[in-house]
Amino acid sequence: MLPDATVLNRILSDAGVTARVEETTLGIVAHVPCEMAVEALSALRGSDLDFHMLLDMLGADTGEGIEITYHLRSLSRDEDVFVKTEVAYDAALRSVWNLFPSALAPERETAELLGIKLDGHPNPKRLLTTDGVAALLRKSVAVRSAEEVRAR
Amino acid sequence: MTDARDIVTSVGELASEGTHDPGMPPAGIRRIPSGVDGLSTEHLIINMGPQHPSTHGVLRVIVEVDGEEVVAAESTLGYLHRGIEKLAETRRFDQLGTLMDRGDYVSGIHGEQAAALAVEKLMEIEVPSKARWIRSLMAELTRIASHLVWYGTFGLDTGAMGQFLYAMRDREAILDILEAVSGQRMMFNYVRPGGVVADLPVGIEAKIIAFCDGFDGYLEEHHALLGGNEIFQHRVKGVGVIDREMALAFGLSGANLRAAGVGFDVRRERPYDAYSELEFDVPIGTRGDAWDRYMVRMEEMRQSVRMVRQAIAGMPEGEHTAKVPKVIRVPAGEVYASVESSRGETAVHMVTDGGTSPVRYHYRGPSLFAVQLLEEILPGHLLADVVMMIGSLDIMLGEADR
Amino acid sequence: MAIDRLTGEHSIAFIRSEQLFDLARSHSLWYMAFGIACCAIEGLMSASGPRFDFDRMGVFFRASPRQADVMIVAGTVNLKMAETVRMLYDQMPEPKWVVAMGACANTGGPFREYPNVVLGVDKIVPVDVYIPGCPPRPESVQYAFIELQKKIRNRTGERLAARRDRT
Repeated sequence: MLPDATVLNRILSDAGVTARVEETTLGIVAHVPCEMAVEALSALRGSDLDFHMLLDMLGADTGEGIEITYHLRSLSRDEDVFVKTEVAYDAALRSVWNLFPSALAPERETAELLGIKLDGHPNPKRLLTTDGVAALLRKSVAVRSAEEVRAR
Repeated sequence: MTDARDIVTSVGELASEGTHDPGMPPAGIRRIPSGVDGLSTEHLIINMGPQHPSTHGVLRVIVEVDGEEVVAAESTLGYLHRGIEKLAETRRFDQLGTLMDRGDYVSGIHGEQAAALAVEKLMEIEVPSKARWIRSLMAELTRIASHLVWYGTFGLDTGAMGQFLYAMRDREAILDILEAVSGQRMMFNYVRPGGVVADLPVGIEAKIIAFCDGFDGYLEEHHALLGGNEIFQHRVKGVGVIDREMALAFGLSGANLRAAGVGFDVRRERPYDAYSELEFDVPIGTRGDAWDRYMVRMEEMRQSVRMVRQAIAGMPEGEHTAKVPKVIRVPAGEVYASVESSRGETAVHMVTDGGTSPVRYHYRGPSLFAVQLLEEILPGHLLADVVMMIGSLDIMLGEADR
Repeated sequence: MAIDRLTGEHSIAFIRSEQLFDLARSHSLWYMAFGIACCAIEGLMSASGPRFDFDRMGVFFRASPRQADVMIVAGTVNLKMAETVRMLYDQMPEPKWVVAMGACANTGGPFREYPNVVLGVDKIVPVDVYIPGCPPRPESVQYAFIELQKKIRNRTGERLAARRDRT
């Protein structure tokens, strides 16, 4: 289930990525800087740990920026790893679709719901909402209050 | 069933999503440059959905066809985007099940399980064995009900009608059991952090066994009725081949992945609830076509009946829930909990800060990954096979849009 | 007005033609196969299944809005869907009726707080019958259709009464 953190560290540093690998309640998490995220994912995919499947990808508003989590899975070794990176609110996220095509839709969704830009995505338009809808998963966007609902 | 309404050329609508090039003729027919031989072919853009009897909900697929052959496809989502992830941040931890029920609304128990497992993992709650067994029992019954909906509507896509009525008959029998146990037909909210909300009602075991006894025979009938039909076989065999590499690259899971030859089942690889104690086989396909996906799901129903029988026979004594405080406060942390739902790996990725609600709640819907695969797999197929592809992937838009 | 009051051997009925048509319409309510969310499984699929069998009331699904009399709004309508709902409603031929099924179609339901969700489908199309529940049972949908039948049969009478009151 859990990959070896030292092996992960070695793979990432061999690829020239400054990473911090730790074990949390989530599992093995590798924190990488935003500009090296694609290199880190590429290294993990090509390594003998064989992380061939991007199971999921999500973003979270931490209050200081958007934290992107990539969830990779190696079916041959039955191991999962989470790669986390921080993107500033006004920055662009580099697409990893040519490494993992499964990121195509989740990237679009993350970009529109968290209000960041996509870089290198073949179809970077909105996925779920229409033009003019705010970045709904941002903490600054509030849900409707009880009064608003009552006065519908 | 299909009529001229399908041929809606809706460039006007596309424009609102920022794809329409004002230099193009606005009739919806894009003219491509003439070929070398001077013959030009007109590509036609056909819009399917969001209101279409074969898109299983509110999926919208825009296909560009050259004659009968699809040359490009785009799947558009969001017609059911209703903020499950955002609203979860305003809900208490024991209320998450209500949102998950409405995500994948045909197999609600699986979503509830994922939410409950996530909370339990972070709180390190020991779930009593009876609760775990009840959960697995309910989950397998739900899986049969969900697969029956897929079976009935998949047949409708091929033009058959009878199997839908038989599938609905059996589904009602399951819903009666689920209602007796949980009080609701679809939105159970039965699985809560720490266990289940109530013990099994008295005498339900006999009803479940009676259902299983009947369903064993009915399943053979179902398979003979649809799978034994030569027209159906012609329409699904060899259609929509998804090979192993493509399935992994696009993040498929569940029966779609297993039909492509990858034997990954969360119930077996990452056992949760009572699955480590239940005996079952994981069917896998060899060709990855629509027929394999059909066969895998039919076999899964058989395995589910097998598990239901085991769960009834081996149901342990004891409490149906652990001691959980009324107001649940989950320690700060981050957790990923996945279950094998009817459609694949349904998972909850939750960030907490020690309060009574999650800070970030991410719901992985396996259908999202199946939907985005459509764009890749549809080109090269005939227009008539588009509905076969959508049907065979068993897409649920509630969890794709969330 | 029940149909058996009009029939019988050698019987002759005097009835306003519009009332006769409404009587016929009320027994042939074809709804559009347009399921948005969870309610569609109950209100459209279970309903046409063998246990509830709406077909015996003349209620049956049609794939096209051009052939439909009733639109069952079965699910949450969001901003992206709103335009489509209106477009489908406009495509239906007159006379037409709308059934708002479930909490979401009535008021936004459990998703009412989300800014992307429309607070009830009556903001987009006129609604004739509201069904509470999340999701309503197929029996509730059946009851809604019975109420809709009553509404259709009574509408000529109500119009005539209103005209009498005016003069």
